[in-house]
Amino acid sequence: MTNAPWLELKGIQRHFGSIKALRGVDIKINRGEVLGLVGENGAGKSTLMKIMSGFDNGFTGDVFVDGSLVELGSPNKAQALGIAIAQQELSLIPTLSVAENIFLGGNHGPTIASLSTLSNLARPFLDEVGLNDIDPKMRVHRLSVGESHLVEVARLVAHKPQLLILDEPTAALSETDSERILNMVNRLKENGKSVIYVSHRLDEIFKIADRVTVLRDGASQATKLASELDVPNLVTLMLGRELSDMFPPKNLDRQGTSAFKISDLWPDGLLSPISFSVNKGEILGLAGQLGSGAGEILAAIAGSHPVRGGLITDMSSGQSFLPKSSKIAISHGIAYCSPDRKHDGLFLGRPISENLTSPNLKRISLKGILNTSKSDSLSADIAESFTIDPSRLPHEASVLSGGNQQKVALGKWLSINPGLILVDEPTRGVDVGARAEIYQKLVELAESGVSIIVASTDLLEISELPSRVLTFYKGALTSELEGSKVNTDNILKEITKPESFLQLAGDAS
Amino acid sequence: MTFFNFKKITSNDPDLTFAILLSALVFAFFSLYEPLFFNINTGFAIMERFAVLGLVGLALTLCIIAGEIDLSIGSNAALSAVIVVRLTDSIGAPNAILIALALATTIGLIQGFFIAYLKVRAIVLTVGTLMLLRGITLFAADEKTVMLTDFDIPDFIQEKIFYIFSPASFLVLGLFVLVALFMRYTKYGREVYAIGGARKEAVASGVSLKRPMMIVFAISGLCAGIGGAIIGLRSGTAQPLGLQYLLLAATVAAFIGGVSVLGGKGGVVGAFVGTLTVNFLNTGLVFNVTPAYIAQMYLGGLLLVVILFQNMSKVYEDKQQRQLKLADTDSFRQRLLKSLKA
Amino acid sequence: MSAAADSKRSASFRQSTALAILKQNGLNIFLAIIALVFIGFAITTHNYLTLFNIKTIVRDAALVGIMGIGLTFVTLSGNFFLLSMKETAALCIITFATSMSHDYGFIISLVGALAVAMVSGGLQGLLIGRGGNPIVVTLGAAGILYGIASWWSDNLVISFRRPNDAEWLGTGSVMGIPNITITFIVIAILAELVLRKTSFGRQVYLIGANRAAGKATGHENRSMAIKVCMIASVCCAIVAVAFSAQMSSAQANYFSSEFGSSGDFTILVIATVMVAGNSIMGGYGSTLRTSLGAVFISAVDNMMVLQGYNSGPRVLSVGLMIVFSILVFAYIRRDNRSEG
Repeated sequence: MTNAPWLELKGIQRHFGSIKALRGVDIKINRGEVLGLVGENGAGKSTLMKIMSGFDNGFTGDVFVDGSLVELGSPNKAQALGIAIAQQELSLIPTLSVAENIFLGGNHGPTIASLSTLSNLARPFLDEVGLNDIDPKMRVHRLSVGESHLVEVARLVAHKPQLLILDEPTAALSETDSERILNMVNRLKENGKSVIYVSHRLDEIFKIADRVTVLRDGASQATKLASELDVPNLVTLMLGRELSDMFPPKNLDRQGTSAFKISDLWPDGLLSPISFSVNKGEILGLAGQLGSGAGEILAAIAGSHPVRGGLITDMSSGQSFLPKSSKIAISHGIAYCSPDRKHDGLFLGRPISENLTSPNLKRISLKGILNTSKSDSLSADIAESFTIDPSRLPHEASVLSGGNQQKVALGKWLSINPGLILVDEPTRGVDVGARAEIYQKLVELAESGVSIIVASTDLLEISELPSRVLTFYKGALTSELEGSKVNTDNILKEITKPESFLQLAGDAS
Repeated sequence: MTFFNFKKITSNDPDLTFAILLSALVFAFFSLYEPLFFNINTGFAIMERFAVLGLVGLALTLCIIAGEIDLSIGSNAALSAVIVVRLTDSIGAPNAILIALALATTIGLIQGFFIAYLKVRAIVLTVGTLMLLRGITLFAADEKTVMLTDFDIPDFIQEKIFYIFSPASFLVLGLFVLVALFMRYTKYGREVYAIGGARKEAVASGVSLKRPMMIVFAISGLCAGIGGAIIGLRSGTAQPLGLQYLLLAATVAAFIGGVSVLGGKGGVVGAFVGTLTVNFLNTGLVFNVTPAYIAQMYLGGLLLVVILFQNMSKVYEDKQQRQLKLADTDSFRQRLLKSLKA
Repeated sequence: MSAAADSKRSASFRQSTALAILKQNGLNIFLAIIALVFIGFAITTHNYLTLFNIKTIVRDAALVGIMGIGLTFVTLSGNFFLLSMKETAALCIITFATSMSHDYGFIISLVGALAVAMVSGGLQGLLIGRGGNPIVVTLGAAGILYGIASWWSDNLVISFRRPNDAEWLGTGSVMGIPNITITFIVIAILAELVLRKTSFGRQVYLIGANRAAGKATGHENRSMAIKVCMIASVCCAIVAVAFSAQMSSAQANYFSSEFGSSGDFTILVIATVMVAGNSIMGGYGSTLRTSLGAVFISAVDNMMVLQGYNSGPRVLSVGLMIVFSILVFAYIRRDNRSEG
């Protein structure tokens, strides 16, 4: 067994136009080792992984596999070299069986075989990931989320890779399923494979990683043995104090009158109904990992997520309503920005000006006829307040960078003069410069009296922006932090190993 | 053989069960309503119809499973019919058939190529090729209906074999079996299901779009070719603008058989059952001396009914999924409460 | 924000903008080339560039053009296309002619045809808006509509006397321009104005560009599908009425493939919408394009007639045009599309 690393990346740089996604990353991994890869949003993790798995060729720097310099030209090439990646989004075919999915794509399976034959061939791979009790003939759409993730990994393992890259493998998984994933990682390690484990769940990192590499702002900040680190050190390495300059100073007192009251809202995914209120000019944060309930609550208030019940009350008008659709939410001045702007936050093929006026056509028209001057002035106003270059307004939204696209996705809601802005992951895929501008704007809006509720998995963001934070863990409300108690340590603790479950504690049943 | 494991089919495949029931219902209805329906000659007529409609239904089923559709299939079949009829006099039926089939399959391959390589939606491309092929057919037929000079030549394809079959329907049934085996037992067949049911995921898994797409459209072309050849030889004539009714009938057959607009669902068995059902309906209506346009009306209505049923069963399935998820959440909550109390 | 970073960003924006503009206009550049090639042929064909011939071209384009304009609304809103247009026209023409043959007069007959169109279009739009696939729904509706039309008329020809008050539309003209052509031009202008200048038109583009984003900003396809299907059906009704006025009669199969040289009328209309460069996925294009596309196809067809070709080559060349333009547009747009 040589001591040289199996995969080594040196001096990796990746620019997108003027945006430096990666400024110089060095990373290496040995055989039979688990390397944890951590970093906040925008640190460059996804860019790095795309490069490592052959999906991105536009980088400079050297890649060595087993000591020799290689060209990771394409995903197929990377796979041939022995690198496999399990993305966050599953790529299983729901209408096919487990066995068929495992042998899909690639030449590792037989050309002619019955379902039974495939099942038998698939068995060892399923066992390797810990799915001993699954019938390989079962259709994938019948599996649970956790089992699907394991099948996805089994599919990669069938290609007999040396290195497995797992991107947030336990996001939205139950406790038991997460345990299975961790056991699988250990099993792979024992078999001499290498695993790069990317995750926000720092507690898991410590459970299985041998070494940890921290990415910050596009560069590898540090690589240490897991035994030399603990959670607070890790968080410090990830965040860095100078990044706090991005945030405007916070108003620590909770002033103002109640603006919106949420009563007994029970979105799918939350363990029990939740009630809270938000004041005028307050920035309230909902902290929690994917699937914890934070994002679900926001979508539910906006009418975009199924609920078992709940009432929203507009305190200024006294009106109460059921959050049944986005139209209803909009009519009450509630704006919702989903975490996936490409999917439903932007009209990429339409001009930016049309995007900015899309939620409120009534405002730019008279009796159904569009008024050009009203439309122009509205979109120019919004563009100016969000620092979007007004000369770009006639261009398609697709030409913008991630940061500017997010500004458009968020800014368009100003057209309805919202009383409440709900935003989930306000700076996902956004560069540092645009991040600061977005934070500045959000604080300005709050100061003018708009209520804002932010959900985010970015620790820095969720501790620096809001003045009050509700924390969630696995579908339950775990704490309410205010004032000076709102800091990364407390939040991280409450979203991973909470001291209490606020909602459930007082339950009779 | 797993093909005939009824219990498994019913539980795994509610759509196929529905199709079989519907088929039996239509058959029973006409058997009771029209005394002449339930006899061997009718059975022969049904199987003869099946020979052509089954081919087109099979082709469309495969296309829809792959997430696409071939609107040009009628035109392709008409071209094939014209070629066979025109060339039989000079070079004999078998050679004419071979040429027609080769041409039809090549046309299919080319379409599949463009769809896969240029990522054009099939529905868009086949609108154009439908017209293009029709123009070629008009050209090949000199704008008129072409006829054989010797009407006895093609009688062999209509000989009765084993009560209700003929060489034509046997050939088609054989093709059904071949394609079924292909779809179920080979990697390439599964790729077709993959690119239909979840195309993004399939491509992300490394499935190339090109191979399954070209295979599906080549089969579609071949089926159109055989179908056209059979019709041409059977009647001894070919109209350049004919065979357009095939599209609606075959689409209804495919949907009765269980395909979904979303792709990835359905199979050859379903295509068989669906085609039979449409044939029962058509033949039964002929007995009733129903004009063709009324038959079209029934088919159109049947299609809408099947779509409605599919939609309702999807809504039901979504509801079940949600209930399962909610039950999961609730049981987790119970476990959490128990551990807190402890 | 520092001015240096700003200008750096502007510079890279300008770069990507230049490429974007080229891509955006690649379509238009291509269409311009086609137009130039065509003009070359036009100049060399005998009798082609006469006022009479040009009027003929536009008049022949009118019927396909009006239906194409209606269909464009459906396509732009992301609802693909309707396969039931010629059957809707069939039912409308029977309605109109039946009413005219009972001497109810033009206005009432027109209203009858329009009502039939709005009901059938509305029902199809209802199913499509609730999630039905437009191709399948309209394929089924086509069978039903045609069946009703044939059954109602017993598949016979319905004639109404001349003179009648529909003649002005069918054969009349103003200052030498046929009234049918004027109708076409008026509808074309109206449609373009609606799309560009009204909030309804804006909604069509938004929902077509991204249905999910449309829903998130309060614009649902549920109601839009009904509206655009009604518009398309109404255009079918207008065409049916105009045609019937020309012939002073009607039969259910007037729009079927046995009638006319280009074969399938519905396919011709769909082809017109696509040759004009409207995006099949929605959100890009215009009715102006479709109108010009209809005139263009008619111009090509007319030229071939003047050069002495039969229907075969004519259908062939229309088909070639369609396939060619589809392939070219797909090639130009391939970067903008994700897998699947």
